[in-house]
Amino acid sequence: MIKYIADIIKGIISLMEGLMVTLKHVFRKPITLQYPEQRPDISLRFRGRLVMPVDPATTNNRCTACMLCIRACPNHSIDCEKLIGEDGKPKPKAVSYTYNMGSCIYCNLCVESCAFAAIIMSDEYETGTENKASLTLDLVAEKYELKGKKVAWWTSKFKTEE
Amino acid sequence: MELIKELFYNSGKPLGELYTWAHGIWAGWGAPPFLLDLIFQIIIGVAVALVVVLNALWIIYYDRKLSALMQIRKGPNRVGPLGLLQTIADTVKLMIKEDINPKAIDVLSFWVAPLIIFVPTFAVFLVLPFGKGLIPADLNIGILYVIAITGLTVIGILAAGWGSNNKYSLIGGLRSAAQIVSYEIPMMLVILSVVLLSGSMKMSDIVAAQANYKWFVIPQIIGFIVFLIVGNAEINRAPFDLPEAESELVAGFNTEYSAMKFAFFYLAEYTNLFLTSAIGATLFLGGWEGPFLPPIVWFFIKTYFVVTILMWIRWTFPRIRVDHLMEFSWKYMLPIALLNLVITAIVIKLV
Amino acid sequence: MKAKKVVKDQKTNKKEKTENMTIKAPFELEKLSNDEYILNMGPQHPSTHGVLRIILKLDGEVVKDLYADVGYIHSSVEKMCENKKYEMIMPYTDRLDYLSAVNYNWAYALAVEKLMGITIPERAEYIRVMLAELNRIMSHLLWYSAYGMDVGALTPIMYAFREREEVIDMIEGMTGGRLTHNAFRFGGFKNDLQKGFMDSLKKFIGHFNDKIDEYEALLINNVILTARTKGVGILSKETAMSYGVTGPSLRGSDCAIDLRKTAPYSIYDKFDFKVCTGKNGDTWDRLKVRMDEMRESTKILKQAMEGIPAGDIMAKVPKIIKPAPGEVYTKVESARGEFGVYIISDGTDKPYRIKFRSPSFSNLSVLKEIAIGSKIADVVAIMGSLDLVIPEIDR
Repeated sequence: MIKYIADIIKGIISLMEGLMVTLKHVFRKPITLQYPEQRPDISLRFRGRLVMPVDPATTNNRCTACMLCIRACPNHSIDCEKLIGEDGKPKPKAVSYTYNMGSCIYCNLCVESCAFAAIIMSDEYETGTENKASLTLDLVAEKYELKGKKVAWWTSKFKTEE
Repeated sequence: MELIKELFYNSGKPLGELYTWAHGIWAGWGAPPFLLDLIFQIIIGVAVALVVVLNALWIIYYDRKLSALMQIRKGPNRVGPLGLLQTIADTVKLMIKEDINPKAIDVLSFWVAPLIIFVPTFAVFLVLPFGKGLIPADLNIGILYVIAITGLTVIGILAAGWGSNNKYSLIGGLRSAAQIVSYEIPMMLVILSVVLLSGSMKMSDIVAAQANYKWFVIPQIIGFIVFLIVGNAEINRAPFDLPEAESELVAGFNTEYSAMKFAFFYLAEYTNLFLTSAIGATLFLGGWEGPFLPPIVWFFIKTYFVVTILMWIRWTFPRIRVDHLMEFSWKYMLPIALLNLVITAIVIKLV
Repeated sequence: MKAKKVVKDQKTNKKEKTENMTIKAPFELEKLSNDEYILNMGPQHPSTHGVLRIILKLDGEVVKDLYADVGYIHSSVEKMCENKKYEMIMPYTDRLDYLSAVNYNWAYALAVEKLMGITIPERAEYIRVMLAELNRIMSHLLWYSAYGMDVGALTPIMYAFREREEVIDMIEGMTGGRLTHNAFRFGGFKNDLQKGFMDSLKKFIGHFNDKIDEYEALLINNVILTARTKGVGILSKETAMSYGVTGPSLRGSDCAIDLRKTAPYSIYDKFDFKVCTGKNGDTWDRLKVRMDEMRESTKILKQAMEGIPAGDIMAKVPKIIKPAPGEVYTKVESARGEFGVYIISDGTDKPYRIKFRSPSFSNLSVLKEIAIGSKIADVVAIMGSLDLVIPEIDR
């Protein structure tokens, strides 16, 4: 009998503790972001989709079509075509750079392999689309302009390498 | 204007006068009087239906907002100002959705179940005293009627569970039957102790017995707590939401339901929540009695106070297990309710 | 005429195929008694946390027998890895267990570093420990919220995700990924800790213990939950050992095996922390162990934060990873238990064979042993307490 009553009291106390926790939270501010209007502050190294930004100094991309990134990619999401000059010799320039966003796993290995900082993972995270074909992008033709806080990081990367 | 003021603040006399006045005109036209009664009943029915639907719309919104507050979120805030139209949008969505009928259902019980669940909740509104005299039908067995009618819900849930031809639904239905039947008993015992105090089963008498702020919650504090728990269990809301235990039984008895049939279940669930709270407020918190504000406002304030407590419980606790549920009813709720009844009876006899 | 025949052939072939492919449940449908029935829990079920199918033989609500049918999302990661260069495998280890990816990275990195004989700079070791412990907290927080959902409490998830967000933000700042971090490189890290990492870590450690108390008050100590979990799904020490159960699920059965303590890898021997154990091996003990483990992780984080030295973060590693022929097995204590990587190298830049020893697989195998005789709701509660991640079971 004593155990019976003690059980009830113990139970009520534990329930009250739980109720107090939720009650306390009623008076706290909501922590959610109202997404399309409010956007999170994305960290510098965030890995969004791959871009090949236009270098503001040369108004062209920095790719030399060295194929290192293609070899580094774990699942063949990147393909690159080298420019063939008039003399028939290949030039260090990419004609096209095909990036398949559908199979990309955003691992950053291509960016790390790039010796010229030609490619970078942008902070674009809204990459959903209704059209499968639009997942395949040509980054050379895109002429992407990098904006935001990634610019300083990106430029600092290629200044030390040159 | 005078009539409305009378309606809100005073007795049912104006309603009666209205009726006799209408009756006089009606008789002047030479029409049979039962037709007038029919018209009056239809008006009352429509009014109750309006209250049910509008209240359900609001209570769903309130539940979502309150849960959002507790979960440090914002809750619905897109449709309409402060998301007030969210429930209407959801209802419209449910209306225009495809009504899926699985192949192997038991057609009759599958179709009838939502109605069987919804009709009792609708019918209970008949005896709710919204204000002084503002009671659609003041039956002299008011509270007994409530118990009798709400007990019918279990048939609907069982029918839904059986008719869906789905094992999850069936388990949900059977759980619900066991649950409602075993929780009916402590519920009745608690109500019985209130009836002992008031000396009548008529809803208006129960409210009248609590006049001058002698609310039954003070002598019946244990009864009130038991009522809250048992009432929560009867309407299958968390932590007693075993019939639709989402993480065990997918959605329990309404797994196979969609579109408007599902909307009926949803509507019935929230209306039941309101009903239980309203009966709790009537039995224990003095019904519509209160200072300054019109009685109907007091009725809703008290009801929503109980609703808030039930929602608070719902958003805090984990789900109880099915055998613990039975144990809880028979080992804890029933003895406490019985003891409460016996003590009440003895005290009444002595005093 | 001819075409028709072909169609017919295909049809019969298909039939044969499906007949061969039907999985024989360990209990025959015909052998069911009148009271018993079969209930398919999954592959799509709210509380199997992924694509796991559990076939239950029930009598009313009581589980008479059960059979876990795995393999619905088998992705043949191990075979895939044989065709990838060593560097490329790192992101795949993330995807085995997307909830504690850092620990899985670590086991793989350790294996290759051991094969190549690379020693890692001390700062990198510290960063690894910090990331791994943050990751453990992250994983346990998700387990806590998912467990709340399993037992029907809908609020814990919101509170736990608030703290989890902080942790994810920290790891994201360091590695760039929120869930699949791909954090480690052979020899250390590509990038040092970001600016402000230490401040946010300090802030996090400062208030996290209070939050754990809150979580316990809300869910773990709740009388409804303790009634549901105490004495349910009792896993004895012997059974656990014989099934190869590891991690918090094993430690719940009063067995103080934690690889960070018993076989310390990296610099774990430098830290002072307790191996949390339960007493009875029931479901509640497993819950409690995880809650305590979060506290211990905070302790380790605190020590690591104070003791982290300055210096290099990357060892000298050849540009082309080509380990010498040989084989290696390394193991780490992940959030779910012992995660092991076994590599046979044939001297090329791709592994000859790679095998992952994933903890969830062994942990799931014990379910049959402990869940029979309990209710449907208990199966959910027990499964939740084992903290399964399905891609890791199926690999």
